[in-house]
Amino acid sequence: MLRIITCQNATLLLEKQADDALPTGARASLWLHLRYCPYCKRYARQTVLIAEWARSAAASRASSGAKLSAAAKERMRQRLSAAG
Amino acid sequence: MTPPTPVPAQWPERYGDELFSFARSRVSDADVAEELVQETFLSALDGLATFRAEASERTWLFVILRRKIIDHYRRQARATQVSLDELSEGGATEADFFAPANGHWTGPQAPASWLNADAALEQQELHDILQRCQQRLPPQQEAVFALRFIEELSAEEICQELGLSSANYWVIVHRAKLQLRRCLEKHGLGKN
Repeated sequence: MLRIITCQNATLLLEKQADDALPTGARASLWLHLRYCPYCKRYARQTVLIAEWARSAAASRASSGAKLSAAAKERMRQRLSAAG
Repeated sequence: MTPPTPVPAQWPERYGDELFSFARSRVSDADVAEELVQETFLSALDGLATFRAEASERTWLFVILRRKIIDHYRRQARATQVSLDELSEGGATEADFFAPANGHWTGPQAPASWLNADAALEQQELHDILQRCQQRLPPQQEAVFALRFIEELSAEEICQELGLSSANYWVIVHRAKLQLRRCLEKHGLGKN
């Protein structure tokens, strides 16, 4: 059934939709809402961007070449030797 | 040819930097990242008997580290679990974004256009702002966001890990995204 939904509902449905297909009624209601609500339409794009940026930011940090200090490595080596 | 048997005492030198760099990309605190690497090595040592020689030692250590990162977020989320109605944690609720009377965006919270979002900020700057915004989330939201969008666990897996109901999970994801969106906008996006 096609229902008029609020921006609060619409943005929640957008999050759910990214995870799994919505039931037909909810999908239709969201579609209708996005037709007339420019703000939620923006939110729909932005929430996807945020997820993409979070992934790419983590990936770029992972290749940043952070290094363990020599002291930390030595501490770990000693713990491993003691435990092994 | 039989692959060489792992030599645990050599792990810190051989794999320490790489594992640490990965851990640092997932948790902002360097000491926590270091601890995760150490825990990884100790767990690997405990599980040495289960190591399959056909897998690479490096891959095996990364699998263990990833599990440690998920455990770290699980502890963070569980230690700070509060009722969703509680505001004491300082987190925003739906009422901060939507008018309670009609559920529509309240004026100043309505999303601005990010038309030139990619052009407005250098990528590095964007990543730094996003990381700072993530750190400002209430701990439970930060953990759920990281598990879902960085570790890419499914909603079902996160609910299991954190002992959340599906309804609560969605409220947390929704609130985290609303706050991150607003935080990014405050720090430069949408000012075209």
